[in-house]
Amino acid sequence: MISLARITLIREWRRFLPAILAVGFAGLLVLVQLALLLGIFRTIAVYIDTSRADLWVGYPDTRSVDLARPISTRNEVFLRAHPTVADVEAFDWSVGDVRRPDGSAALATVIGIDTRAGALALDRVVTPAQRRALDEPDTILVDMSSTANLAARLGTMLEVNGRRVKVVGLTRGLNAVGGANLTASLATARSLDTGAAPDQVGYFLVKLRDPNAAARVRDELAPRGVNRPYSVWTASEFSEMSQRYWLLESGLGLGFLFSGGIALCIGIVITSQTLKSVVQASLREYATLRALGISLRSLRLVVLEQSAWVGVIGVVLTVLITLGIVRLAAVFHILVTAPGWAYAGTAGFIFTIALASGVLALRALAQSEPATLLR
Amino acid sequence: MSVAPTLSATALHKSYGAGAARIEVLRNLSVEIFPGELTLCTGPSGSGKSTLLAALSGLLTPDAGAVTLLGEDILNRTERDRDAFRLAHCGFIFQGFNLFPALTAFEQVLLPLKFMAVPVAAARERAHEALAAVGLAHRAHLRPTALSGGEKQRTAIARALAKQPQLLFADEPTSSLDGANGRIVIDLLHRIARERGATVLCVTHDPRLHDHADRIIHLEDGRILRDSRPTHS
Repeated sequence: MISLARITLIREWRRFLPAILAVGFAGLLVLVQLALLLGIFRTIAVYIDTSRADLWVGYPDTRSVDLARPISTRNEVFLRAHPTVADVEAFDWSVGDVRRPDGSAALATVIGIDTRAGALALDRVVTPAQRRALDEPDTILVDMSSTANLAARLGTMLEVNGRRVKVVGLTRGLNAVGGANLTASLATARSLDTGAAPDQVGYFLVKLRDPNAAARVRDELAPRGVNRPYSVWTASEFSEMSQRYWLLESGLGLGFLFSGGIALCIGIVITSQTLKSVVQASLREYATLRALGISLRSLRLVVLEQSAWVGVIGVVLTVLITLGIVRLAAVFHILVTAPGWAYAGTAGFIFTIALASGVLALRALAQSEPATLLR
Repeated sequence: MSVAPTLSATALHKSYGAGAARIEVLRNLSVEIFPGELTLCTGPSGSGKSTLLAALSGLLTPDAGAVTLLGEDILNRTERDRDAFRLAHCGFIFQGFNLFPALTAFEQVLLPLKFMAVPVAAARERAHEALAAVGLAHRAHLRPTALSGGEKQRTAIARALAKQPQLLFADEPTSSLDGANGRIVIDLLHRIARERGATVLCVTHDPRLHDHADRIIHLEDGRILRDSRPTHS
């Protein structure tokens, strides 16, 4: 038997095109904003997420990894004393004033990592060869996302805090929110950090014999009392803490949430108005069916089916274009993260918008006697 | 007249607006309409004829009065019951045709049958029959944009006819048609009344139709001014 909804959609697709595009692009806006936001947050925690440590040890009550303050190197002994701890290594963090080859200035984060083979720090972005190369004093790695910003290539000489260093490798995936990420050996990082005291370090990374015991060991290592020398976090906990800090307490996160919210509102308005106008264009025809005795419920189902199809096609459009954008972003070293739940959530959401818009559009028919529409 | 009326209204009142702007559209109007006849309801604009048609067909609730359709008091029924009654017994034709732009003539006729849950094969047969009855069998595959005004109205008639209604309501069915097409449409309505025994009530201000009517009710200011049965060949 014929389906009024589908036949209308197929034969009168031009009338539905604006609604489909509105739904699709509303979803696209939300999803891409979300992917960028998640990408940025992943950037915040990239040091944690690309390292192999089970526990992070740092200045008491540090709220985000980038807010590092030095702790005493003497703490290492206590950490190593725990039977479940397999290895402890230092991780340095400082800010560098970079002078590019052309003399102009830029800001960078200088990360000092252990260069031993199999070290924990930045395990997923620094190759073993690059780690070995850093053993040579005054050498650094630059991330590909920052090469343009620093005007640096392999072999370029940069000046960091007044000291000349050579770029001996390019990392991939070590994006930075502000400035650039420079990776160096602990010794080089120390020599570049003009304010560093010799017996201090940014963080200790801890590897456990049993990674599943992370939460327990964290509690056992945590110092008690008022003047605690350090805090201990599991890697995932520290990553989440850092991202949450940026989401809720930095203007950046709130700004993104705000613009995502606006994108959503615009999408809702455009979609509902367009679907409403499509339904209202056929209001007299629907009223005629009402006169012929076809119940409001049956007509509602027709409009719902129509809206559902608009939603489905819109969702497909959203997903396809977002996949394309995510791929494009990777080419330009822009960190966007679109996990499955973001796709599913956005799809569910815009599908709901489409359905709700259809129901609202029929209100004109439900609220008036058919006779008044048939004048 | 020995036949019982299929459609009767008693003491209908209907007004719009309030206070000084209040307009009484139907004033204590009572009327009986009989099956097998084409009854025309005429009168100047604003005389209340369209409101009467809407009230008589259960599309509009009057302020006071009673409406009996096929022996049933239609006003004392729920919205859902009224829908069911109209679905089973009523056909409608409007001045504006009100055809879905996406559907072919055949599909327009088929659509109400689908909602009536008529089995597919039977529905298709009835739709073909109805289109043949209005002389559009060869145009069944066309969408409204490809049909002339007269053909669109005949499609609308076929849509009403396929339901096999006992009551057929037409609101200004010829107003947007030329003389020739208007004549075809009114002839069709007349034949439906005569051959199928349906009660056909047609509201019009088109004097060309008077010759085709079995009965003419002339309305003015919400009252029946004249009720006549023209004698013609």
